[in-house]
Amino acid sequence: MSRGSGGGYDRHITIFSPEGRLFQVEYAFKAVKAAGITSIGVRGKDSVCVVTQKKVPDKLLDQTSVSHLFPITKYLGLLATGMTADARTLVQQARNEAAEFRFRYGYEMPVDVLAKWIADKSQVYTQHAYMRPLGVVAMVLGIDDEFGPRLYKCDPAGHFFGHKATSAGLKEQEAINFLEKKMKNDPAFTYEETVQTAISALQSVLQEDFKANEIEVGVVRQENPVFRVLSMEEIDEHLTAISERD
Amino acid sequence: MGDSQYSFSLTTFSPSGKLVQIEHALTAVGSGQTSLGIKAANGVVIATEKKLPSILVDESSVQKIQTLTPNIGVVYSGMGPDFRVLVRKSWKQAEQYHRLYKEPIPVTQLVREIAAVMQEFTQSGGVRPFGVSLLVAGFDDNGPQLYQVDPSGSYFSWKASAMGKNVSNAKTFLEKRYTDDMELDDAVHTSILTLKEGFEGQISGKNIEIGIIGADKQFRVLTPAEIEDYLAEVE
Repeated sequence: MSRGSGGGYDRHITIFSPEGRLFQVEYAFKAVKAAGITSIGVRGKDSVCVVTQKKVPDKLLDQTSVSHLFPITKYLGLLATGMTADARTLVQQARNEAAEFRFRYGYEMPVDVLAKWIADKSQVYTQHAYMRPLGVVAMVLGIDDEFGPRLYKCDPAGHFFGHKATSAGLKEQEAINFLEKKMKNDPAFTYEETVQTAISALQSVLQEDFKANEIEVGVVRQENPVFRVLSMEEIDEHLTAISERD
Repeated sequence: MGDSQYSFSLTTFSPSGKLVQIEHALTAVGSGQTSLGIKAANGVVIATEKKLPSILVDESSVQKIQTLTPNIGVVYSGMGPDFRVLVRKSWKQAEQYHRLYKEPIPVTQLVREIAAVMQEFTQSGGVRPFGVSLLVAGFDDNGPQLYQVDPSGSYFSWKASAMGKNVSNAKTFLEKRYTDDMELDDAVHTSILTLKEGFEGQISGKNIEIGIIGADKQFRVLTPAEIEDYLAEVE
């Protein structure tokens, strides 16, 4: 008859609970939701788009410094949902790793390699007691030389998958339900459709219509594989197109 | 390893002499997706369910069965991220052996080294055991072999085995169906039937993975199309 909970420490560090769960990892997922932001990523035929809310809690804050979209290299972007400080650490390490990769191997780090590296790092935190898991879900996007547009999501448990579309944050499940319906028949979205699907998914799930300064949008396109954050004007164009379409 | 603050083992003996962290790790394995392996007279097959959290996940980006060396493959039940760590360590071990002895690592040696790593994590400071059980399938000079490695680091050679959610039904099914003179093709059919037993939903080439190794000593993962062919034969 196995003994009870590991002395109560199974909630404090990443050791197993009697049911074989890792509570610290589960709590890390809750921390991601607690940030109150929802993010969405959609992969089209020749582009990938990620969208997130831009909540500026204080009018005195400099809006430009509030961002969850980070370029890792010229060609790879990362959208971090959850605890901002943890996100910044992750981004810093990812940038370093990508730069070293380029130096060491002579070619740009592919999307899936970066995603795997992030996920493997997260796994270490779930196995070693001295570091807690990061409270961040990272969506990595880029154009792969062989496979085309790619979107990966990495979570605090160390899982990572490629996605046709996905979501993270507060309204993650609602957004995934919405996206599942849209992507059911494997549509091959054009760039405009990709961006508009992502933005309208966010609007639908949060049940509000956004202004251009309330969301952040990042894209990569096959014709120009550089990771780009859309400007206010571009976001406005898409928002207008969506409202005219409805 | 890790911070000196945690230079004590987190896996310690209970008064009844058990290592409860290992037991909990086995529970984690038992709630993982079912996987199984069968050793035939002329090869080995390993298979697993591949249930993904959503249809939005690109199933071609996920490969649960991994090739450790050209003639050794592995599948797991339990925590995917932990599995990746073990696969990476195995690749390195295999390569180091090859560098030293200029020949491919025998299956038993590789299994022993992976098991040693898993045991380390049940005794070292500041770490928890791996939440995976592995089925290692290989074909070397000693013929076809199938080993199961548990979170404790103990390993055994099996004629056929199963792990994960549906383990008891699967093992009963395998016990009935297994024969010593089974051919590889039969073993593939049997493994599909075993997976089908506990499968929720419609089984297809996209939600299971199968890896085989035959007398050619080349481990490979079947494509979804090949799995569909086998499924059609089984119907």
